[in-house]
Amino acid sequence: MNCEIFREMIGSYVDETLEEGRRLWFRAHLRECPTCRESALREEPSLLFAMAPAAPSEPGAVEACAAAVMGRIRQDRLDRRLHRRRRPWMAAAAAVIMVVSGGLAWRTMIGGGSETLHPAVEARRDSELQNSPPTVEVEMPGEEVRVYQFANDEDADTAVYFIVDPALEL
Amino acid sequence: MRENLCVQIAGFGSRDEVVMNDLQWIQSAKKGNEDAYAELVRRHSGGLHRAVARILADDTEAWDVVQMAFLKAWQKLDRYNPRYSFTTWLYRIGTNLAIDLIRSRTSRERAHKAGTEHRLRLVGTGEGTGARADSSEADSVLQQLVGVLTPQQRSAFVLREMEGLETAEVAEVLGCSATTVRNHIFQARKALRRELRARFPEYLPASERG
Repeated sequence: MNCEIFREMIGSYVDETLEEGRRLWFRAHLRECPTCRESALREEPSLLFAMAPAAPSEPGAVEACAAAVMGRIRQDRLDRRLHRRRRPWMAAAAAVIMVVSGGLAWRTMIGGGSETLHPAVEARRDSELQNSPPTVEVEMPGEEVRVYQFANDEDADTAVYFIVDPALEL
Repeated sequence: MRENLCVQIAGFGSRDEVVMNDLQWIQSAKKGNEDAYAELVRRHSGGLHRAVARILADDTEAWDVVQMAFLKAWQKLDRYNPRYSFTTWLYRIGTNLAIDLIRSRTSRERAHKAGTEHRLRLVGTGEGTGARADSSEADSVLQQLVGVLTPQQRSAFVLREMEGLETAEVAEVLGCSATTVRNHIFQARKALRRELRARFPEYLPASERG
């Protein structure tokens, strides 16, 4: 009975006019019934391809693929970080901030007026480190930049350092 | 959705459950959880590879395309619309990459592929071969005949006839209408039928083999 129905459906299947549920049944029967398969292939040789297996890939190949994809994703993330650190505008911005904040800090240290520092500038005068050169630390929120300026009153030397990523700070 | 996919991921439960889990993994991956994305790669790379390998007729190149597809999907994960199945979205990326690859192959490579003759394992002698036709032969024969199809015809035929996707899903994957999909399949079947008769007469009934 099923085989009769199957044979009547061959034309509709090939013409793409079978309803989806009947199409699934047709494909299942094509795989299961050797007699119907033979008659169907006689009528329409291209039905051979409807018997293609759903063979699962080897687990090793799938795992290797997952490892390769995740490796590339991590590598891309690292590349983007490195690229971001190398952005030239960032170095220029850091240099400008250093100059501005250095000037402000210097004026504060020599008592030049009652002006307060820019909120972004934090001056540290630690009483325990009175003999050490005054330090000025500038942070740029969200940009992973920290600038340090060390000034020594005795020899008027000023050293400026900036660290792009505080995580790299020793 | 498709019988092949259901078979392949049967270990994960029903299809609805799989879709739900996919969505959960995707949400987690969108938040930057790389382990969640690795899980999605493990779940879907096998099925995508099988489809792409059939379209390309090249197993090794197919793995490269699969990796590239997952990388692209990760980069565009924010644009993924959960209204659509993740597999359909993934198949779209993978199929487009495969089509681009076919188009980029030089004509020399194409000619080599199309002209390469492999010895097909012959099944049956006197009687029709259909009764004993091994299902893995479908892949073997397609690999030799797929060169006669255009990239779009290949993709539509593989997704619909071999992977068992619905017409609407194939249309979604290929970015065309259902009518265009039916036309691609019609043309593909016609070309394959002609090539089968010419190059694989063992698939014809004994009375037609001459």
